[in-house]
Amino acid sequence: MTTENKGIEQKWKDSVEQIVKRFPERKQSFQTSSDIEVERLYYPENDDTYHEKLGFPGEYPYTRGIQPTMYRSKYWTMRQYAGFGSAKETNKRFRYLLEQGQTGLSVAFDLPTQIGYDSDDPMAEGEVGKVGVAIDTLHDMEALLDQIPLDKVSTSMTINAPASILLAMYIAVGEKQGVPKEKLTGTIQNDILKEYIARGTYIFPPKPSMRLITDIFAYCKEYLPKFNTISISGYHIREAGSTAVQEAAFTIANGMAYVDAAIASGLDVDDFAPRLAFFFNAHNNFFEEIAKFRAARRVWAKIMREHYQAKNPKSWKLRFHTQTGGSTLTAQQPDNNIVRVTMQALAAVLGGTQSLHTNSRDEALALPTEESARIALRTQQIIANESGVADTVDPLGGSYFVEALTDQVEAEIEAYLKQIKELGGAVAAIEEGYMQREIHRTAYETQKRIEKEEEIIVGLNKYKIDEEVNPELLKVDEALEREQKASLQATRNERDNELVESVLKQLEWAAKQEDENLMPYIVNAVKAYASVGEICHVLRDQFGEYGSI
Amino acid sequence: MAKIRVLIAKPGLDGHDRGALVISQGLRDHGMEVIYTGLRQSPAQIAKAAIQEDVDVVGLSSLSGAHRTLFPKVVEELKANNAADIPVIGGGVIPSEDIPFLLEQGIKKIFTSGSSIDELANYIQELIQPNQIEPIKKISHIGIAVHSIEKVLPFYTKQLGLQLEGIEEVESEHVKVAFLKIGESRFELLEPTNETSPIHTFLQKKGEGIHHIALAIDDIEARLRALSKDGIQLINEEPKLGAHQAQIAFMHPKSTHGVLFELCQEAGGEET
Repeated sequence: MTTENKGIEQKWKDSVEQIVKRFPERKQSFQTSSDIEVERLYYPENDDTYHEKLGFPGEYPYTRGIQPTMYRSKYWTMRQYAGFGSAKETNKRFRYLLEQGQTGLSVAFDLPTQIGYDSDDPMAEGEVGKVGVAIDTLHDMEALLDQIPLDKVSTSMTINAPASILLAMYIAVGEKQGVPKEKLTGTIQNDILKEYIARGTYIFPPKPSMRLITDIFAYCKEYLPKFNTISISGYHIREAGSTAVQEAAFTIANGMAYVDAAIASGLDVDDFAPRLAFFFNAHNNFFEEIAKFRAARRVWAKIMREHYQAKNPKSWKLRFHTQTGGSTLTAQQPDNNIVRVTMQALAAVLGGTQSLHTNSRDEALALPTEESARIALRTQQIIANESGVADTVDPLGGSYFVEALTDQVEAEIEAYLKQIKELGGAVAAIEEGYMQREIHRTAYETQKRIEKEEEIIVGLNKYKIDEEVNPELLKVDEALEREQKASLQATRNERDNELVESVLKQLEWAAKQEDENLMPYIVNAVKAYASVGEICHVLRDQFGEYGSI
Repeated sequence: MAKIRVLIAKPGLDGHDRGALVISQGLRDHGMEVIYTGLRQSPAQIAKAAIQEDVDVVGLSSLSGAHRTLFPKVVEELKANNAADIPVIGGGVIPSEDIPFLLEQGIKKIFTSGSSIDELANYIQELIQPNQIEPIKKISHIGIAVHSIEKVLPFYTKQLGLQLEGIEEVESEHVKVAFLKIGESRFELLEPTNETSPIHTFLQKKGEGIHHIALAIDDIEARLRALSKDGIQLINEEPKLGAHQAQIAFMHPKSTHGVLFELCQEAGGEET
């Protein structure tokens, strides 16, 4: 054994021993049903390429995971995305999920909130409370988070174009609960680039949108050091039809665009990079998905250390949330979806995810019912507690197939990154429509393969049955839109409207300045109960709106 | 016959347009003209676009749950603008229990998750042009098998006075082809380049003479699907590349009473 390798191995063992002393693992030791001892990590001794390409978990380039003990210490965070109707109803579902053992919240907002329209805006007609909860003013946010202790629960918010506003509301609710900003934990999605590519809830053009994002980076570095300022999302790119490689490559390219923008705004890379988070899809091709997660970690680590010269190891780590693939679910024989979700969730766990949302079986039909949402959560709990896959770190590391696939996915991600760089980076590539075209091409080919039965989807194009799919579905009360409008009007009547006018004027002034951080102005505006629509209206006037390409 | 014109629209704020985009392209491949509105269209905007673009049918896609409000509004807007004759169909994430309500509100049909492009295209075809097959407009060319192009060419150019457009070798078929324009069609003289050529076999069995008739069409995939659905035996189930980069496919003479017909979609534009 070379002394160098021996040194690395010993050093890792020693440092893990230290960590485990301070933060014990779930159990003293782990065994199989036959009492075979399960080690923390399996690896080849004295192997140069191992250290270069894979490394130990918790060490560069993080192929095997970002923590040394992974799920032996703590399971991934089980975080089910939920939200529908009114803030009050969603609050009830949240408290139910927390009682059921969920460990973090994830808020879905309705489309008017996501696109910056108040519930009484004509554009909002028919959409209020449909795909998530309707939030107009701080009043709604207070109801949403009622009796949920923000110093104990971390909250993920799927909000992009108006991310600053919802974050400001979260801060304001925290203050009312007596929780200082510094203690707040959670994530805002805040990833506008993938909205242009795949998800469609953009408001402003790229330049001011990037400013809003880097303002959040700077503000959170100062005041919310534990908050994830962005969740760079491949999930929706995949849902729009991309391949696994395209998903990872376009997401990483977008990530680089945010890093570039933040550096250009004067931040040091290590000031914000440790708070960047990612969000991926877990699709059907089991091993490719695992390889994708492992390759993405390695590519990002190299980019951050070598290209951006980040010094803090936390800046090198790609931390990610995973959601199982919504577009893989079928409306036919919906219970089959439980099996799909199980395998996708397992791939995410074997790929080393930090948190996970498992879809409900009925999502191809409507929003999930309480029972379906519970089965989805139970799926994760069964994988964690019963399967034993969480008892050793990166159990598939060293598999000839998985390692070869990881290398190949990595090479193809890099080829796409090169192509995007030649187009002038992610923002230019998006404006030119490059990523959109690539995704659409794959989506169409997939559809044709399914229709020609070259790709089999069980229950859809093979093994079909005559069935009446009429499961119990969750319905959003049609009266909700009316009630939400009335409640907004009541807030408008009660609040100090002179104050609202003055905070919005100040925001307008700040938006005109190029180097004024907008966050403090937005915090003031929401505290005065200015609505999401009113704040966005001020910004629309200054920034303009993005036209679909 | 005019191409069927379809407006695919995304009402409301929903940004999920994978389905809308895939369907737009799928219907285009079925030979229809498709206009896609893009995201965030109000019912009034959709109705206006449908009228301005003079479409035959409007297809709405929504995955956000707003269909109960927005789909009927599109129907209303069309009515209000004297365009109630334009049928509206819809799709997306639509619970089956909502379908009767939507049909009652005047939506012609709802396609739910798992419907294929073929089903949709056939439905639209039946709805707009029931029981009508678009007639073949012209003969693209007549293929004539010859032993030697060089030897027979003077008959066509001198005695018939036709103009030679060019000679091309199609490697995949092991033939050399001479093109001679005649009106809006052509003669294609086919000379085998070796003994594996189908033309060589033809010449041995039957001697020189007419080999096939090629029909000009502009929607080869849809034509092939339709033929195969009607039980016509095809030599090529999928289009392949022929001379001039045209997409071609042959029908089996067993199914066409002894005539070898080729379907030919010329490259770089549609037949007019």
